[in-house]
Amino acid sequence: MKIVIGLINGMLTAATPILLAALGGSMTYYAGIFNIAMEGMMLSGAFFAVLGSYYFHSWLVGILFAILGAILMALIFVLFAVVLKMDEFITGIGLNLLSLGLTTYMLRQIFKVKGAFSSLEIVPIPKIDIPLIKDIPIIGDVISGQNLIVYLTVLAVIIVHYLVFKTRFGLRLRAAGYNRTCLDTSGVSANRIRIISLLICGILCGLAGAFLSLGYVTVFTEGMSAGKGWISLAAVILVSGSPKGIALISLLFGFTDGLGLFMQRTMPPQFTSMVPYIATLIALFVYSIRLKKKQKIIGA
Amino acid sequence: MGDIIEMNGIVKIFPPNLVALDDVSVTFREGEIHAIVGENGAGKTTLMKILYGMQPADSGEIILRGEKVKFSDPGEAIASGIGMVHQEILLIPEYSVWENVVLGNEPVKFLDHLDSKKAREQVKAKIKEFHFNLDPDTKVADISVAARQKVEILKLLFRNVSVLIMDEPTSVLTPQEIPQLFSELKRLRDNGHTIMFISHHLDEVLDLSDRITVLRKGKKIGTIEAREATKTGLAQMMVGRKVIFESIRKAQKPGDILFEISNLNYTDADKKPRLQNIHLQVRAGEIVGIAGVEGNGQLELVNVIMGLIEPQSGTISAMGQDVIPQSILEKRKKIAFVSQDRGNMSACLPARITENVIMTHHRLNPRFTSLGGKVLNFKQANQFTLEVQEIFDVQMTSGETLFRSLSGGNQQKVILGRELLLDAPFILLDQPTRGLDVGSIEYVHKQITTMRSKQRGILLISADLEELFRLTDRLIVMHRGRIVADLVTDKTNITEVGYLMLEGMTYEA
Amino acid sequence: MKRKILINLVGILLAFILGALVMAIQGKDPIEAYYRLFEYSLGTPNKIAYTLNKSVPLVLTGLSATVAFASGPVNLGQPGQLLMGALFATVGGLYINLPPGLLIPLLLILSMLGGALWSGVAALLKHLFNMNEFITTLMLNMIADYLTLWAISYPFFEKNANHPQTPLINQNGWMPEWGSFSSNVIVMLLAFGIIWFIVNRTTSGYEWRISGQNSLFSRLGGVNVKKNYLAVMLLTGALAGLAGGLIIMAGPHRFIKDIGANYAWDGVMIAMVANTGVILTLVFGLFFAILQTGALGMELQVQVPRELIKVLQAVIVLIVVAGRGYFESLFALLEARRKMRGRTS
Repeated sequence: MKIVIGLINGMLTAATPILLAALGGSMTYYAGIFNIAMEGMMLSGAFFAVLGSYYFHSWLVGILFAILGAILMALIFVLFAVVLKMDEFITGIGLNLLSLGLTTYMLRQIFKVKGAFSSLEIVPIPKIDIPLIKDIPIIGDVISGQNLIVYLTVLAVIIVHYLVFKTRFGLRLRAAGYNRTCLDTSGVSANRIRIISLLICGILCGLAGAFLSLGYVTVFTEGMSAGKGWISLAAVILVSGSPKGIALISLLFGFTDGLGLFMQRTMPPQFTSMVPYIATLIALFVYSIRLKKKQKIIGA
Repeated sequence: MGDIIEMNGIVKIFPPNLVALDDVSVTFREGEIHAIVGENGAGKTTLMKILYGMQPADSGEIILRGEKVKFSDPGEAIASGIGMVHQEILLIPEYSVWENVVLGNEPVKFLDHLDSKKAREQVKAKIKEFHFNLDPDTKVADISVAARQKVEILKLLFRNVSVLIMDEPTSVLTPQEIPQLFSELKRLRDNGHTIMFISHHLDEVLDLSDRITVLRKGKKIGTIEAREATKTGLAQMMVGRKVIFESIRKAQKPGDILFEISNLNYTDADKKPRLQNIHLQVRAGEIVGIAGVEGNGQLELVNVIMGLIEPQSGTISAMGQDVIPQSILEKRKKIAFVSQDRGNMSACLPARITENVIMTHHRLNPRFTSLGGKVLNFKQANQFTLEVQEIFDVQMTSGETLFRSLSGGNQQKVILGRELLLDAPFILLDQPTRGLDVGSIEYVHKQITTMRSKQRGILLISADLEELFRLTDRLIVMHRGRIVADLVTDKTNITEVGYLMLEGMTYEA
Repeated sequence: MKRKILINLVGILLAFILGALVMAIQGKDPIEAYYRLFEYSLGTPNKIAYTLNKSVPLVLTGLSATVAFASGPVNLGQPGQLLMGALFATVGGLYINLPPGLLIPLLLILSMLGGALWSGVAALLKHLFNMNEFITTLMLNMIADYLTLWAISYPFFEKNANHPQTPLINQNGWMPEWGSFSSNVIVMLLAFGIIWFIVNRTTSGYEWRISGQNSLFSRLGGVNVKKNYLAVMLLTGALAGLAGGLIIMAGPHRFIKDIGANYAWDGVMIAMVANTGVILTLVFGLFFAILQTGALGMELQVQVPRELIKVLQAVIVLIVVAGRGYFESLFALLEARRKMRGRTS
């Protein structure tokens, strides 16, 4: 039983940042933006989370800083891709590199260290015990006592779903993705909708970053997003943006990650570390097979 | 009737070298149907887009009800009561009719929650008010083009627009759908709406409008009362010379069968049959036309012939060989092809002209390569560009310039040059004159008839019935993926073909 | 042509000004810092030789990305392909004993095979299952990272070393050096020449470029798009692999943990800023090598952390690329106005 609970908790831990970033990607996906900058936004969030938590001795400030740090990246994306109309792909790559460079530079400049910064003064984000539920055996161990961000993530899935499919904003958001000109000629600025979607993406990626550096550890490592932003992008593509689908697929990725840790008893850690990336490839493979079956005209 | 809108001294430049509007001034009266006519590229649509705030003018002013206005986006124009229905219909096919109509003006409840019940009721009421025959809950993807056009108009009326700009609304309709649109537009005018109607079909213009403004090459030629205008007079104003609408074929006996399709079937990924039991033959020295409303299988037919999609059954043979299993390169030895989609299928816009000219030739003609086809011979390639320039009368500076810097007509000449110089016996032309000016159209038509007299077999797909009647020997009508008629052009007429295009059968049947 | 150079220069200048502002805010003298940067990378023939040596993996991965992007495939797998190339060359160098004249070319070929193998996996996944190379190459990067780490931690681990690394490769497989000048620069220039010729002069290169700009058009023109895709993926993988092999053969002569980390995204970055131009790729590869080498001088003399260069590089990419689009439309508009005026007067 312990193993199962451990697996489930491992799954939730691994799934949370991917899920949050993918929800952000979902917003921009519906707005018709080819946004590959989740990696950079998340990394920036992780750095600023540590910065805020370290200087203000408060995890709440840490989260706020994380969100601001990620929004800063989102704003740079807006400047280049929306205002200057630069190619979204190049903007995304450039932004990821900028985020990597900036966080490494600031790590050196502010904390005077290379590679990683850790300190007892960094306050982690607390775990939340839910009264009553925490006393139920087994279920209590899973549902209660998770990190605050885990609960926020569940909330985020619901909010994003509501936002996209139930609101006026959602109708306009999807319209921006389907046909930008149509939305413009309907009297709604598609660019405004695109900018809002990027900012929401920034908030969610900021939370993801905060979870990385203040969730179960209190450390910032160079490039600590380690491809999670790319995996979240794969998740978005695999389910065509659907928030529910993203939740499912992120849990699946999280599960394989937990499984990888579990397998460490029997094989070298380098192989178990590969598991999430191999899982992404397998998911893409399944997706491609499905797509191939209903392939349409081969266009440009 | 007072003046509602004045446009004064409008200038619009498109880089690198197009002056789309050159000091154009027009006045529109309240409650009139005002036609804007001119050839393709005369600046009609640009003028209206400027009025609608979709494009900024480089100079000039707009006065609406006595006040100077400047719209920086369509939203502002709509708020001032000006709406535009575009040539390519701007709706979201994935959304229902009511969602499309309310988009941008949605009623909401608590927490930005879309009030779909209220929205549907509002849309229903508008549909009733204007006697439109529409179901608010159908997906736009599932309704006809004519119905989509109505949705667009409804969308604007929903925003209480009093000035309606219609950009070539009839170009997507069949001859039989047009009268209904016209009666709706007239009803709107009688209710006090002002309608601006862009067209280059003179019969329609004379039938519908109260006043007519003629543009030519970005300049205004004049505004006249419709009841004082004549078709030939307008045509002369449009092109600056006399034009004749008549067949340009000479009698000629067709030769052997060059190209044959039999029993061809294609069903798409959504299990929708797109081509059903297609049979057709093209003989040497013959132009066979395919008429049909767009979306009735023409695109699929082209894609199947060119090998972009695979049919479920049937054969396509060119020069007696079954070409379906062949590679595209192998097919291209027998088939020259001009697509309606210049920028995506017939040319590489960001590449140089020479690089566009030698495509296909670089594999089929050893003249362009050395070392067994491995290395390109640029001297020969440049020489070839000059040949195309000379033979097809292309206006260009050098083969090194980018293809996209050529005007539309010259682009098409380069493409035609490349394809016709392949010396393939069969020529597939898919809307080869779409978007060209009258001069270029005439040039393309001349080339097509020249090829006919050289005993090539030509399959011409066109949405322009006048073009088909002008050029073809036989006319095939497609309807919902089937061939519903195979007619001798001289023994039929536009009305009959129009009816076949729409209904898939003749009136008697 | 002149305009292109101007746009690139303006972009770089803007990025430098931004960097100067950052330094000035922190109370560092930017002029001194930039002086030290160039002095440290170009000040003496020895330093130039070192910078050239440093540019080899940058230019090669840059060429890899440039050829890929210009031809269509979004091969973002240079980091992984580089590692696999390095691993192949290392393993070859550990077990094969031949005279230098044979071993060096053999190891170079092995490194290219290693890279091509890794890009070939992505190409095959696309070919067979239509899986987008853009994500598969990224995932393969991470997998190569762990795979090579495993390889140097277990099967090829140097006994008694205190972190993952292999023993030294056979000395016959070391790239010859003359003073500070390493012969890997010659290999790089050779590769550059060959790539330039392939892209600009051969039939395949023509087809790749046109397919990269409009795949449907070239398909309809009779180009075998699938075959070309495979060829481009393999070639670009081989280039990145070659970069990896040369890092080993001209550098530490063994595979050390994190050896490829410094070059992870540089190739992609250089290709983007070079806008699919082969010559510009060489120029920007050299330029980025100057920045990266000089960064240490900046740090030692002016106490500006060398990581600033990473920021500067990303800013250069963003500003130059954005500026290109912006200036081009501006120039087009100005030209049209001039023509218009010339016509009316």
